[in-house]
Amino acid sequence: MDSLHAIGFYVSSGVSLAGALGVALLGGRDLRGASMAVVGVGLAGIYLSLSAGLVAAVALVCYAGCALLVASPLYRPMASVVGPLWRQVGAVGAAGLLAVLVYSAFRGDFVHANFYGGAFGVANLGRLFFAHDALSTEALAVLVLVAFAGATAVWRVRERTR
Amino acid sequence: MTISLVAVFFVAAGLIAAGAFAAAWRRDVTAALAGVPLMFAGAGVAFAGVARFAAAGGPQLFGQEFAVVLAIAATALVALGLGIAGREGPR
Repeated sequence: MDSLHAIGFYVSSGVSLAGALGVALLGGRDLRGASMAVVGVGLAGIYLSLSAGLVAAVALVCYAGCALLVASPLYRPMASVVGPLWRQVGAVGAAGLLAVLVYSAFRGDFVHANFYGGAFGVANLGRLFFAHDALSTEALAVLVLVAFAGATAVWRVRERTR
Repeated sequence: MTISLVAVFFVAAGLIAAGAFAAAWRRDVTAALAGVPLMFAGAGVAFAGVARFAAAGGPQLFGQEFAVVLAIAATALVALGLGIAGREGPR
């Protein structure tokens, strides 16, 4: 792996983490949506530098969709029923989770293997999706169908009762 | 300058923690829901890193396959969650 890949990886990681902090901290749905789009761009760069071109393309499209959904003015804000104490406990828990994950990554002893796939790997991934793991691909398709049909049904019921 | 699996795991940990923080800290449910794709993104980066650096046995691109599944599932869950949370409209 050459240093160009490495520079791309670290720059994309910085972009992605900055976008994630924007999603977590910025106020306003448009700013959150823009931050989510930044996360998608950084994520695509990370995947590209990890020789996962198809995953990068899919992630770019999916996180652009997420950004549009998050930034959409069609959704009304909905206050949580959780009190401030539990929110603070959750934030401290997230910090603890970060510490545990970083420590385990730093102290872990991982297997090293050579990578023989290409930069894009479409044929091999397609073989995995549609031959080796066809059932899980169908389950994913059902999940997406149920999610979008459910969201549409909820909207229609709410519009009818309004 | 090289990339290692540990560096990939550091980035994945940062994304997962940022998503967990957003989901826990935000008072607005629709804003908290935006933390879910971040956590899925962190998991996807970790899977792709394992596929790139440490997939010794079995299908080598399995981690990439799971990263694709996670990205699509994140979009579907955000759409469903925002649909349940409610749509703004004339009242």
